[in-house]
Amino acid sequence: MDATVKPAHLTHEEHAPAQPGLLSHPTAKTGLMGWLTTVDHKKIGFLYGFFALIFFLVGGFEALLIRTQLMVPNNDFMTAQMYNTMFTMHGTTMIFLAVMPLSAAFFNFIMPLQIGARDVAFPRLNAFSLWTFVAGAIILNLGWVGPIFGIEGQNAPDAGWYGYSPLTSKTFSPGHSVDYWIMGLQLLGVASIAASLNFIVTIINMRAPGMTMMRLPVFTWMTLFTAFLIVLSFPFITIALVEVMMDRNFGTSFFEVSGGGMPILWQHLFWVFGHPEVYILILPAMGIISEILPTFSRKPLFGYPIVVFSGASIGFLGFAVWSHHMFTTGMGTVATAAFALATMAIAVPTGVKIFNWIGTLWGGHLMMRTPMMFALGFVWMFMIGGFSGIMHSAAPADAQQNDSYFVIAHFHYVLIGGSIFALLAGIHYWFPLMFGRKVSEFWGKLSFWVIFIGFNVTFFPMHFLGLNGMPRRTFTYDPNLGWDTANFIATMGSYVLGLGMTIYFVVLAYTFYKGEKVKKDYWDGRTLEWSLDNPPPEYNFKVIPTVHDRDAWWYEKHHKEEIAKEQAEHAKAEDEHGGIHMPFGSIWPFVASFGLLIMAVGVTFFAAKTTPGIGPKLALSLIGGVVTFVGIYFWSLEGNEGYHLHLDKDGKVIEDDQHKAKH
Amino acid sequence: MSSHAGTIDHHHDPSTSTGIPNKKLLMWTFLASDCMFFGALISTHLIYRLHPPAGGLDPKVIFSPELTSFSTFILLMSSLMMALAVTAIQKGNVKSCRWSLLTTIFFGMIFLGCQVYEFDHFVHDKKMTLANSLLGTTFYTLTGTHGCHVAIGVLWLGLMYVRSFKVAGDTGWFGQQLMHVVTLLVALLGSLKVTLGLVHALQVEPTYGAAIGAFFGHEFIYIALTLLAYGLLAFYFARPRGHVQFNEVNAIDVESMGLYWHFVDIVWIVIFTAVYLLEYL
Amino acid sequence: MQKPSLTLRAFGDIAHQTFSFPNDHMPTLPKTLARCSRAALALAGLLLLTGCEKLNFWRMDGHQSTIVVDGPVAREQLNLFIITCWVSLVIFVLVGAVLAYATFKFRARSEDDEHAEPPPQGHGNPFVELGLIAASVLALVFIAIPTLKGIWNTYDVPEAERKDAYEVTATGFQWWFKFEYKNAAGKETETASLDAQGGKAPLITANELVIPAGRAIRIHLRTFDVIHSFWVPKLGGKVDMIPNRANIIYLKADKPGYFWGQCAEYCGDSHAVMRFRVVALDKKEFAEWLDQQAQTGRTVAAAASTPAAPNAQFAALRTFRENETGTTAAFDKSPLEAWRAKQNPEPGEDAALIAKGREVFAAKNCGTCHAVRGHGAGGVTAPDLTHFGSRTTLAGGLLENNDVQLRRWIHNPLAVKPGNKMHFGVGAMPGYVKKNTEGPGYSRNITLTSDDEVALVAYLQSLK
Repeated sequence: MDATVKPAHLTHEEHAPAQPGLLSHPTAKTGLMGWLTTVDHKKIGFLYGFFALIFFLVGGFEALLIRTQLMVPNNDFMTAQMYNTMFTMHGTTMIFLAVMPLSAAFFNFIMPLQIGARDVAFPRLNAFSLWTFVAGAIILNLGWVGPIFGIEGQNAPDAGWYGYSPLTSKTFSPGHSVDYWIMGLQLLGVASIAASLNFIVTIINMRAPGMTMMRLPVFTWMTLFTAFLIVLSFPFITIALVEVMMDRNFGTSFFEVSGGGMPILWQHLFWVFGHPEVYILILPAMGIISEILPTFSRKPLFGYPIVVFSGASIGFLGFAVWSHHMFTTGMGTVATAAFALATMAIAVPTGVKIFNWIGTLWGGHLMMRTPMMFALGFVWMFMIGGFSGIMHSAAPADAQQNDSYFVIAHFHYVLIGGSIFALLAGIHYWFPLMFGRKVSEFWGKLSFWVIFIGFNVTFFPMHFLGLNGMPRRTFTYDPNLGWDTANFIATMGSYVLGLGMTIYFVVLAYTFYKGEKVKKDYWDGRTLEWSLDNPPPEYNFKVIPTVHDRDAWWYEKHHKEEIAKEQAEHAKAEDEHGGIHMPFGSIWPFVASFGLLIMAVGVTFFAAKTTPGIGPKLALSLIGGVVTFVGIYFWSLEGNEGYHLHLDKDGKVIEDDQHKAKH
Repeated sequence: MSSHAGTIDHHHDPSTSTGIPNKKLLMWTFLASDCMFFGALISTHLIYRLHPPAGGLDPKVIFSPELTSFSTFILLMSSLMMALAVTAIQKGNVKSCRWSLLTTIFFGMIFLGCQVYEFDHFVHDKKMTLANSLLGTTFYTLTGTHGCHVAIGVLWLGLMYVRSFKVAGDTGWFGQQLMHVVTLLVALLGSLKVTLGLVHALQVEPTYGAAIGAFFGHEFIYIALTLLAYGLLAFYFARPRGHVQFNEVNAIDVESMGLYWHFVDIVWIVIFTAVYLLEYL
Repeated sequence: MQKPSLTLRAFGDIAHQTFSFPNDHMPTLPKTLARCSRAALALAGLLLLTGCEKLNFWRMDGHQSTIVVDGPVAREQLNLFIITCWVSLVIFVLVGAVLAYATFKFRARSEDDEHAEPPPQGHGNPFVELGLIAASVLALVFIAIPTLKGIWNTYDVPEAERKDAYEVTATGFQWWFKFEYKNAAGKETETASLDAQGGKAPLITANELVIPAGRAIRIHLRTFDVIHSFWVPKLGGKVDMIPNRANIIYLKADKPGYFWGQCAEYCGDSHAVMRFRVVALDKKEFAEWLDQQAQTGRTVAAAASTPAAPNAQFAALRTFRENETGTTAAFDKSPLEAWRAKQNPEPGEDAALIAKGREVFAAKNCGTCHAVRGHGAGGVTAPDLTHFGSRTTLAGGLLENNDVQLRRWIHNPLAVKPGNKMHFGVGAMPGYVKKNTEGPGYSRNITLTSDDEVALVAYLQSLK
């Protein structure tokens, strides 16, 4: 990433008076301060990806521990409570700290490039989202301090990733485990909503000339839908978590049966968020696949409008099917039937996508490279996951499958075979663009096959386990129920999967430092990001491109003269308007997020029964609030200031003093 | 937002694809999200209204619709003032904009004052607390969340008011502004405290004379502090210091804030209907 | 061996073709992959041959199978599942075949081929797309109709059988089930003798639900702590027990049998070991059982017993590994017979020991939580033990009910069920330990000597 910065070529022509003391603009582009103050969407995307991969490995390690416990019946590898903690943290980590931020990494890095923008609409808000995500991740994992250092009565969250009330109440979870979970998710929610607002504005408002909505790359479309889903669904879990927090700390009765509360309400509020969340995890993956398949088939996406509209209808219907997670809660016949039919309806747009992907392959020229292997693996695995999903929509059959290992198999096929495969494909696909290096084909494919085989050996037997009556979230099982063999195979498979992931990431780390350097547009891409040098410069586009076709870069490659003429004109026009506007870096988003972290720590420990009382914690929360306020205040004082870069005659970005006078 | 020659078209921003300014679009999207926050809270309240626990409190006994109607009206009027502030700044009339902002803040504070009074009244006289009943649980959480929105709005309005005094090229302006913000907060919170003190005195003491006497006795320091803050605001901070850097270009900032304020107002109409009026149908 | 090797070679060839386009980095890749896939297939074959006995998991015929079922509700759910399976399979094969064909047919054969002139840049075909949408909607109709039928058929007892339905109330606790019976008509609460003076109490049992076979059962599901879920896979799908919510489940057993059940909603530390059994009996046997259960707890008179030598198995306390299984293969052979055997008094009862056990039970205040009707124990927060000796399981369906396992349980319940209330107590009531009034932590409340344990085991087993 550091290579993106070429200080020699920058013109620090500030178009604002120098600010004294606190308000001076950070200029560091490298080192710790460079990272903390960056507002560059590519650096922020890189950081999102970096943290997400760390948590992906943590979550994967937790999964291996879970599988080790279940390898043989009546195992005593870990205690019941530790097991319960593991599956809770595995689920929460994978969803909120691995898949979502990894998607966000691509949103940040790729989406502005795809629409021909120089950055997102609100670069500092983007930095704020990143650091708030990190703060949330810290709070969520704070609970590990208890078990790791052997502190009595302190534990990481252990109420399941959907924390069904009243298990999360003070009565049944007296320690702080649930408090970490609540405050961690709250901060992650703030981060996700802030980031999504930014993406929505960026996509709607920052498109290059000619980039009409129906010319947006599909990945960008899916980013838009995902952002809308986040913006509209996260408030429900935020409110639900506020209600649980109030129940735990201030004696309210939202879900307290003794005060007349109804625990079922938690399930509704949670799944009104939780089901759109499922599409928040899978729509970006579908977007990535819709980029990779056309590129490696060397032809446009089949039925682009239908793929886009199916994405929209998935997002829309996603809000109308939440109760299919609750078929066994005794909703009554009519409600059950309605949600069953709505769930079946959502299978149609999903199926349409698969048809269109196959249509894209048809008549193409398939380059069987690593990203393509992962993408094809995605299509196969997602199909299987989709079909077991349809089986769940048949509510009476679901009464047997719900909360059994059949469900575990289903959603791992959708989330690993789906989301993770697509994200791994995306890493390979965009790696040459992001870092200018490429992953070895041999090692890439080897990791694919080991992951593919390991994944199927792990999760396919779970279908049988579920149908044979094994409930999920059980730390032990008896040998007389016929579950031994499938569990043993699944555990062995999980080790193979772990090995595959290890190969994948070791190779990735090696490539990051030592991989073969490649030239621009390595895959013969179709969308605008491939028109950039790799790695892309800080300002992205020397000249904002004009878009003439859906596959904008493909068109440019085949209409070189026309484009060159056009770009020269644009360059001239832009220079006359002051050149390339670059925003200053800023530390204030980081400060605001840091304040939120302090505040969340205070709230987490509000109701500690032991010393000290509520006073110091309240003070801590208030200090955090003040820090956040100060951060946002200074941030707002900075205004939208920045500096300008200019192009010289050879089209190089250089320092050019004569422009300084203009502003 | 570079300064272009001529008048600014406030309905079209040529630098964006759609012509809608980014800040406005951000605010609209945020408000869509905020709708869902209130949606979840209002649904919680209505669900428990349909499934009340045995022996729950009767909202009709607790609510005082007259006071709430009054504060609702005040909040509506504040929206009118907010709209006037936006129009004023779009025309470049900073002075008019400041007065409209101040009136909006004033009305917002009256609303908050009514809510503080109402909460205090419900807790102490009607014996409904956050923890002792499901009605209290949902009522305080919902209206309290709305109150927080109003409070944040008032704070934002105040900051914008102070911002309107920023003098171009003044490097010492930052410290000045901080003091200005603090003084404004003291004036607002002081007024709230003093007014509630007066209301309390009138309710407790038998005669007006005794009430006024007790009021001055109890609240002397607050009254003095508040008056001092108002004096500073009027005669020190509001003094012209040079060419102010606040004009049509900032209309979008005021307009985004206005969107937020109108939204908070509309949400209150919904809450007023769903929580209060529904009980009297 | 001839045939498999042929297949292997064919597979290797396909693998060879699939991955064999030369690439800057991977001239050896196709060979390696082909070799790997051959080895993997050979290994799989070997496993299948040698481990046939073990690799039986696809038969899915365990005690909690949803595929080999014993009741009409489970059968309806199974049939619906099979329909969804077939529809999915047909679509999967069709779509998969096209996908596989497209992948093979249109792949680039070499690196030069990769960089050849791009194919025609077609954007799609609306007729194909709309046709496929219509086809998927049609396929879903095949699933939707039986689904709707199934929802109405399985939600509650069918109209025709409603009058005759037998009603039970099941309540979930952390981590066991309580069953409260209705009377023979199945509507009013069944009453049972409370004491010799003719007092009455509701008929309550725990962890083993006995039902009449061939008769529709409507179970009212309740819970007062957290959410549980009532699941007997062979009889039907699960329905959750949710606080402040009145749910019901409709089940029916075709014929007499012994069924395994388990809590299916995560409910805290010991969720995995919150299990129960359902015993279905024919009409006569069920009536007999109901009569027996309505009696007060059995008292073994000194004269009636013929004390034999002290039971050998009490000589030493076996130590158990954490989570060690509490079941035996012998029991699984004919569980219903094993259940019937438990209904009769054990041979060689020692009246003196049983009497001592009863004293220990009273002295250690077991009766504040447990009830033994007629023995002065009236607790309601723990399983009713009036006829404990007639059950086949203990500790919430986890352990087989015999002397060894019972002693394992009462010796240290925490080692069997993490977090359980017999150890920690419920609310203000202490268990084996009690909350320190000052400071955190617990201190010992009940201490049982080795003799106490032996006596308690004898007493509890005598409660037939």
